[in-house]
Amino acid sequence: MDHFLLLIWHALLISVFFAFLWRNDASGRRRLFLKTFLIMVVGGFLVGWLMFPFP
Amino acid sequence: MTVVAKAHDKKPKETGQAVEPVAYGLLALAWFVPGLGHWVLGKKTRAVVFASVITAGFITGLVLGGELGVPKVENPFSWLATFAGMGNGVLYLVRLLWLNGLGGLFSGLPLGLVGGGDPVGAGFIYGKTFLITAGLMNYLAVLDVSDIARGVKE
Repeated sequence: MDHFLLLIWHALLISVFFAFLWRNDASGRRRLFLKTFLIMVVGGFLVGWLMFPFP
Repeated sequence: MTVVAKAHDKKPKETGQAVEPVAYGLLALAWFVPGLGHWVLGKKTRAVVFASVITAGFITGLVLGGELGVPKVENPFSWLATFAGMGNGVLYLVRLLWLNGLGGLFSGLPLGLVGGGDPVGAGFIYGKTFLITAGLMNYLAVLDVSDIARGVKE
């Protein structure tokens, strides 16, 4: 089981959901999707990396 | 600095426009079948997307071996997980029925229900996260249906 792939899949589902929930136009949805998706993936990766030294 | 509020940003209450009462049947429908509330309101793209995303999240949770939220005596937070899981509507009920059977479903209420999943499995927590997330997304979709039905949102 690839944890990073699961992170990407989870971020993808949530980003698509909120893009359609909060925006009505296609360009707004695209922008919000990219923003939330990148924040979740990059943020999750960084937090995971920062937690790496801890037991 | 002056903040200029746009007219379309104002809620109907602020503009003096009447707000429609909440249609509880529609909200129940939106909860029970993810996406159906939006479909009934004519928001078909949103309905399909929400139904797909919520169902995909739920199925991913099951495939990973996640536990369905059920109340447990020893864990008060399990009630929160139960609430979140119940957000999946019919998906939650079918899975609960699958795990407990009809007899077990009624005899086990509320603290004897089985939530499934493998606690020592690698995907247990991830799966549970997907199941909870899917349920919470459906609750947000129900609130969205409420807003659209009352004319607060397009």
